[in-house]
Amino acid sequence: MSVAVHGEVHGGGVADHIHPEPQTFVRKYIFSIDHKIIGIQYIITSFVFMGLGGLLAELIRVQLMHHSGALVNPDTYNELYSIHGSTMVWLVIIPLLTGGFGNFVFPLQIGARDVAFPWLNMVSFWIFPPAGLMLYSSFLMGAPVAGWTEYPPMSLQGAAGTSMWAAAIFLIGVSSTMTGINFLVTLLKMRAPGMTFTRMPLFCWAQFATAPLLMIATTALGAALAALFIERQFGVPFFDPTKGGSPVLWQHMFWFYSHPAVYIMILPAFGMISEILPTFARKPIFGYKMIAFSSVAIALLGFMVWAHHMFTSGLAPWLQLPFMILTFFIAIPTGIKIFSWLTTLWGGKIQFSTAMLFAVGFIATFTFGGITGVFLAAVPFDLHAHGTYFIVAHLHYVLVGGSLMAILGGVHFWYPKMSGRMMNETLGKWTFWLFFIGFNGTFIPMHWLGLLGMPRRVATYDPQFQTWNIVATAFSFVMTAALLLFFINALYSLRNGRKAGPNPWNARTLEWQIPSPPPYYNFKHVPAVFAAPYDFAEPLPYRGLEGELDPSVPAPVPAGH
Amino acid sequence: MAVENRDPAVKLERGFWLVTAVLAVLSLIAVVATVLYPVQRLLPEAAIPADQIDALFKFLVASSSVVFIFVIGYLLYFSLAFRRRSSDAPDAVGVQIHDSQSLEMWWTIVPTIFIIVLGIFSIKIWYGIQVQPNSGLVVEAIGHQWFYDFRYPGVHGTIPNEMHLPANVPVTLHTTAQDVIHSFWIPAIRLKADMVPGLINTLRFTPTNPGRYEIICTEFCGTLHGEMHKQVVVIEPQAKFIAWLSGWKSKNAHASDAVPAGGGGPPVSLAGGDAAAGKALFAQKCIACHGAATNGFEKRVVGPGLDKVLDDPAHPKLVDGNPATPENVAKILQNGYHGDMGQMPSMGANGLSAKDVANLVAYLKTLK
Ligand code: HEC
Ligand SMILES: [Cu+2]
Ligand SMILES: [Cu+2]
Repeated sequence: MSVAVHGEVHGGGVADHIHPEPQTFVRKYIFSIDHKIIGIQYIITSFVFMGLGGLLAELIRVQLMHHSGALVNPDTYNELYSIHGSTMVWLVIIPLLTGGFGNFVFPLQIGARDVAFPWLNMVSFWIFPPAGLMLYSSFLMGAPVAGWTEYPPMSLQGAAGTSMWAAAIFLIGVSSTMTGINFLVTLLKMRAPGMTFTRMPLFCWAQFATAPLLMIATTALGAALAALFIERQFGVPFFDPTKGGSPVLWQHMFWFYSHPAVYIMILPAFGMISEILPTFARKPIFGYKMIAFSSVAIALLGFMVWAHHMFTSGLAPWLQLPFMILTFFIAIPTGIKIFSWLTTLWGGKIQFSTAMLFAVGFIATFTFGGITGVFLAAVPFDLHAHGTYFIVAHLHYVLVGGSLMAILGGVHFWYPKMSGRMMNETLGKWTFWLFFIGFNGTFIPMHWLGLLGMPRRVATYDPQFQTWNIVATAFSFVMTAALLLFFINALYSLRNGRKAGPNPWNARTLEWQIPSPPPYYNFKHVPAVFAAPYDFAEPLPYRGLEGELDPSVPAPVPAGH
Repeated sequence: MAVENRDPAVKLERGFWLVTAVLAVLSLIAVVATVLYPVQRLLPEAAIPADQIDALFKFLVASSSVVFIFVIGYLLYFSLAFRRRSSDAPDAVGVQIHDSQSLEMWWTIVPTIFIIVLGIFSIKIWYGIQVQPNSGLVVEAIGHQWFYDFRYPGVHGTIPNEMHLPANVPVTLHTTAQDVIHSFWIPAIRLKADMVPGLINTLRFTPTNPGRYEIICTEFCGTLHGEMHKQVVVIEPQAKFIAWLSGWKSKNAHASDAVPAGGGGPPVSLAGGDAAAGKALFAQKCIACHGAATNGFEKRVVGPGLDKVLDDPAHPKLVDGNPATPENVAKILQNGYHGDMGQMPSMGANGLSAKDVANLVAYLKTLK
């Protein structure tokens, strides 16, 4: 079998099949089918939406500087946090971790030339920006007010924008589902020869655990949103209790998606941490298999715990118990990961690059958020804390202190691969410290605010809570400053960063063994893989990469053929 | 991946044991401090089972602070002790170990045991909440946008705003809602139930400490969700509660059992309205939706600005289409009105008495 080179089209196996490289700007950068370009498109789009969602967050924080509302009237305030939450979940964290980093990184890591269905990938992406614009256009017709969870009957009464919200999120869901299918097939079918499952980098394992969640859970969300839309527009009563509908049905459908969705938002982040830590500790990741399997265990358990969001909704009491116990059990695989990461640091030669600072910071904040998650799983405690600022604190600890910290680490880590240039490390370290301090200062006080009696989603509140709200707002400005610094660094380095070369971090996974940015076809020769990538004292476990094809080794055969 | 046998023998350094000892001491201090800390000083315990829920809370805080102290402690120690130094060769690598079956077994088994203990403890407390006595006083709480009202056995109609309970009598509280989902949370009792239209969710507890405590809505229910908090009064001795209850019995003797939520009834009398009292009320109850009293009709917040509401040539009619007279304004205040702009709450929802309405109308008349 011949080995395909740049520009030729071969009818051979999957792995040595190359599409002709597009020549026009539009086909190259706009309607691209290249997983790397699509990944970067996702990342840029998501960060634009993060700017908007962050602006909304600051408006929220300013409003809460005075107990009777410092900025806007209650109805406007309710729109602000509803769109803030929807943006951050569906337009920022999920697309960044799956469509963004998933697309760019894992096909390279498994030695593939693209994802299994490049056209589908392009369609997935191009659904996303219009859906995001639809979501924001709801401000023009009266945005939804009932939070990102949009419980009926409130959401049935919301302004016209609520239907727009449902349609937009539905589209995002379609895009997510297609991405899930695409990634799953890619991981099953397109691994380079020798890239067995136990040699796969852990980021790939994380995507492998996430893809079925994207596929299966998102359909439940789609059904719920379709029902809400139909009820609002055509009056078919799914949820309206006065017409025989059940408002609690929505909660079941919504959380059947949204609990797995929290793992969509954290498993790939775990994967990033598992790549960054060994690279900068110069040590094999500790407990590779346990980390890999625990991702799968978390994904499976994640389907069986949704009603822990509904302990006060009126579940049959005995039904609360299985959901409580199963949720407790998720702490075990999560703990395994945290302990394995810690042990990876032990005995290392740790280099504190910005990416590594974010990874280590992630362990601290995510542990905290995970612990409050165990608190909330305990039904009796949840009866007190549900619906309060304690929930707001917990969810931001896992989504900002967890997912977003990992994403920021991931950007600093993979930026050289994506752009060919290094980000500025001094700015990066400022970013980290400002972010870490700002983040904790913003969200720590919310724990006791909630426990002492401040409910969530309120435009005005009891004056006794004002001091801590002002503290939170003050720190939120620090966090915003960090993010601005980050954006400046990313834009500035695009032109002015030091040239990165193929492997600035001396990392060992496959994406670092090819030029930065990688050429259109990724790998000149699809490599053969001989071991997992984390043995820093050993030679690289790849053969057949550019120029070093060993004639004694038979030509690579794609996995799955 | 047959790498296990390549792993070098591991010998832990002295610093590690020292740090471990320090963390163990810190954990012990944290556990003892948590157990001894009087939570009720931060937030009173007004009823059984608040004490049990606090016990679970303490258990959670104590055990997780051990986990947290160890994770953060090791994280800091490893980060400092194993950082790359300038004396290290550029290609220096760390200790090349891959895994350790015994270590991984331990950190699976120990958390599992912990989870089982936590599970048993949580179930025990959960059970304690479920089996609170069913006898005693039965009260119904109904959530509306944006207030609660209450029904008591033997009292016609509803009692708005304040719930009174006798100390040391078990209470069964059935909750539901009339319009959208609300929630009924008494932080001092550590319990809440969502009030779902069409469903009845029940709380059982026994008030123990006389006093006034907040009732707070924790489920988003519209514009004034943040203002939806009322109070519960726990009364001792029981005779005082019975007196309060019979007061309502006679007061509501002629009330229909189906009073519309907080409105309806004959028109309120506007005689003797006190504009100064109305002004104070306006600042308290109306500004959130209508803005300052100097706002004209066009300056909308949630509802229209109310400056010159009774004397505005550009708007001779009120939003409900009736002429702008004091009586018609009073009608809107009394019954509420839902028009194009949204919901103007009724007097019950705004927590107003008939006298308050008269005072407010007197005040609105002064806005010329
Ligand atoms: C939850 C928000 C809200 C609160 C609180 C509220 N209102 Fe209103 N009010 C409205 C809305 C909305 C309207 C307009 C209803 C419509 O036409 O759709 C309105 C209408 C009115 C009108 C009729 C105005 C006109 O020009 O016809 C009067 C008078 C009024 N409110 C007085 C009051 C007073 C006095 C208070 C304080 C006790 C008060 N409102 C509290 C929302 C509120
Ligand atoms: Cu969940
Ligand atoms: Cu509410």
